[in-house]
Amino acid sequence: MPPQRKVQAETNIVVDRDANKIMLTRTFAAPREQIFEAWTRPEHVACWWDPAGFRLVECEIDLRPGGAFRFVSQGSTYPFSGFYREIAPPARLIFEAMGSLGKVALNVVSGKTVMTVTIECGSSAQLDQFVKMGVDVGTSQTLDNLVAYVGTMLQ
Amino acid sequence: MAIQGVRTEHLDRAFSALADPTRRSILARLAAGKATVSQLMEPFELTQPTISKHLRVLEVAGFIEHGRDAQRRPRKLVALAFKDVADWIEPFRRQWEGRFNNLDGYLATMKKKER
Repeated sequence: MPPQRKVQAETNIVVDRDANKIMLTRTFAAPREQIFEAWTRPEHVACWWDPAGFRLVECEIDLRPGGAFRFVSQGSTYPFSGFYREIAPPARLIFEAMGSLGKVALNVVSGKTVMTVTIECGSSAQLDQFVKMGVDVGTSQTLDNLVAYVGTMLQ
Repeated sequence: MAIQGVRTEHLDRAFSALADPTRRSILARLAAGKATVSQLMEPFELTQPTISKHLRVLEVAGFIEHGRDAQRRPRKLVALAFKDVADWIEPFRRQWEGRFNNLDGYLATMKKKER
């Protein structure tokens, strides 16, 4: 196996305000079986879920339809918690969290895995709340960032 | 409550304007500098009425404005409109980007342990 090449950071985000939906897409070199496992076993999730890279202080997964999960980051106010709805390895994982529906889809495209995480909310207000939740507020953006942002939406 | 309603409505309009790929391309072109309708027609191979229609949507959403030059009316970006959209989504995007970067790195170590 050749060493995994690090492509430039590229998570594509699409916001559909009409359907109150956010779609995040990212391509990985790893096979989807492995990515599915990384999403569904607590010893794995604990290692990557926190955006800043700290190990989760709590990570519980009851992997069955209706089973609960709970991810707690170091020093965070909000745990990320909910219930699993559908577990279909290695292609699909569906869960409910904070009043929204989360779908992880793993598709093989030209030997790589394209992961799409869709977050569906019931209303525009709920979408706003989901976006703000657990995210630092007050970061001011420069025009450069904005142009870069439009750039990411173009892909 | 009222203020939040207005803000949400504004974001709805902004995102529905951004939902169209041609309009996003027009914005990307304008990010490089202002341009007139005829300057925009060339690269996009669109008719003048079609370009004008897209420009109107972008204008209503607050993303662009006319220049002062009455003849050519070059369009340019309104930085503030992007700020609203970016302030709303950018921290969220970064949070998930960080998460997926970690996952990418972690997948590599997972592989090593297994083999």
